Amino acid sequence: MKKGLIQATDWYERLVHWMLAISCLVLCFTGLGMMFKSFNFIANMMGGLVVTKYIHNFTGLFFGVALFLAIKMWWHEAGVFEMPEDMEWMNAAGGYLWHVDKVPAVGKYNPGQKMFFLAVAIFGAIMVVTGIVMWFPLRFPTELVRWLFVLHALGFAVIFPLFFVHLYMGTIGSPGSAPAMFTGWVTRAWLKKQHHKWLKEMERKGKLVVSGEEKKV
Amino acid sequence: MKYMELAKLIDTTKCTACRGCQIACKQWNEMPGLKTKQLGSYQNPPDLQWNTWTLIRFQEYVNKQGKFSWLFRKDGCMHCTDAACMKVCPSGALHHTEFGTVGIKSHLCIGCKECMAACPFDIPRYNDKTDKVYKCDLCVTRLREGQQPACVKSCITGAITIGGKETMIKKAYARAKELGGDANVYGDKFVGGTHVLYVLNEKPEVYDELPKYPTVPFSIVLWKDVLKPFSLLAAGGVLAGSFLHYIIHGPKTPDEDTATKKGGGE
Repeated sequence: MKKGLIQATDWYERLVHWMLAISCLVLCFTGLGMMFKSFNFIANMMGGLVVTKYIHNFTGLFFGVALFLAIKMWWHEAGVFEMPEDMEWMNAAGGYLWHVDKVPAVGKYNPGQKMFFLAVAIFGAIMVVTGIVMWFPLRFPTELVRWLFVLHALGFAVIFPLFFVHLYMGTIGSPGSAPAMFTGWVTRAWLKKQHHKWLKEMERKGKLVVSGEEKKV
Repeated sequence: MKYMELAKLIDTTKCTACRGCQIACKQWNEMPGLKTKQLGSYQNPPDLQWNTWTLIRFQEYVNKQGKFSWLFRKDGCMHCTDAACMKVCPSGALHHTEFGTVGIKSHLCIGCKECMAACPFDIPRYNDKTDKVYKCDLCVTRLREGQQPACVKSCITGAITIGGKETMIKKAYARAKELGGDANVYGDKFVGGTHVLYVLNEKPEVYDELPKYPTVPFSIVLWKDVLKPFSLLAAGGVLAGSFLHYIIHGPKTPDEDTATKKGGGE
């Protein structure tokens, strides 16, 4: 491995992320295949709508587990806003939308990531609960089921577009980010640019894991 | 009778509750009889079932003058023009036929039960053995051969008739006028007009299990007509926005200078 790379995520973090990501994508695309007649071909590729229905339902259960693990693991890092730097970052839109001379330094997750995390956590939980009711709709009052359909669609309308924001920001929109979720090793330059506060904090605590260097405990 | 908009008229005042239509429906559609339960009423089975697409509802009614009467209402699919079941059906199993009625292609049904939640009349029923939903299709295969639906054919009192929609609406209003009092026509004024019409002797709210003013539920409209297109528009907008961001503002690239001069820069 290249010397000087810094470990940003451990294996467990990456595993949970991919459990969540893959199940979420399967759910989005099987859901699309069922919700839109023009996307029925997605369902047909999977062996028809009935098969798609079962893939969707059982993947939903897996997603529920992954979501639970993700919330448990990330809520204190990504679910809580740190003031005032997060507010300053927000006011500068993270330097993503207009020119900002010096983007306020943030911790391991920036406020944009935190908002995405919260959106997935809240709407993901809504998707799991409403999804289970939609799986067994005859056990619940009709009027309730109708409004849960609406919530399920709302959750999709929130999560699906945000997924593309996340995809863009994690890849070409912010080069150097993707390795954090593949190998876990990122460059110091990327950390300085994106999560300077976390970098300084880890250095101060002596917890930084740098390739080619002895781990300081 | 081929390829015109049809309507079935049920004149409840002529119904004697012989239940011939209920049997004829089962026979033509080859639906089995299932073990039932006597609940102290002639209404049997107690409700619509996956194998019972039409049901005579028996209702004891005492009007304001203290006069007792039986109300008989043949319940079943109303064949809406603005059909909530079709709006939610993900597979296209529920569809409008060439007669304007709502048909069901059973081989396409995936048993999601969304139509059961959406229907303002609470008509579709689910069979967990086949994992499919069933309802009246107004004997569409008979209609295509120029035949009347089985229930119409079997009706001995002329309570159930079928014909061109406009003709039947006129006939219904004429009959309601003839009856006078609270008699009214039910079906032509909501959900785009149903293809099953009632002549009711009492006000609609008097009848069990009959919504006074049925509509496609607002929740269903919000779901299918607002959130569904919005989700795709939003996703498309994000993709377009990301692309524009990339080519106009550019990605946020780490500063190479600070990488070489460790700890310096800024």
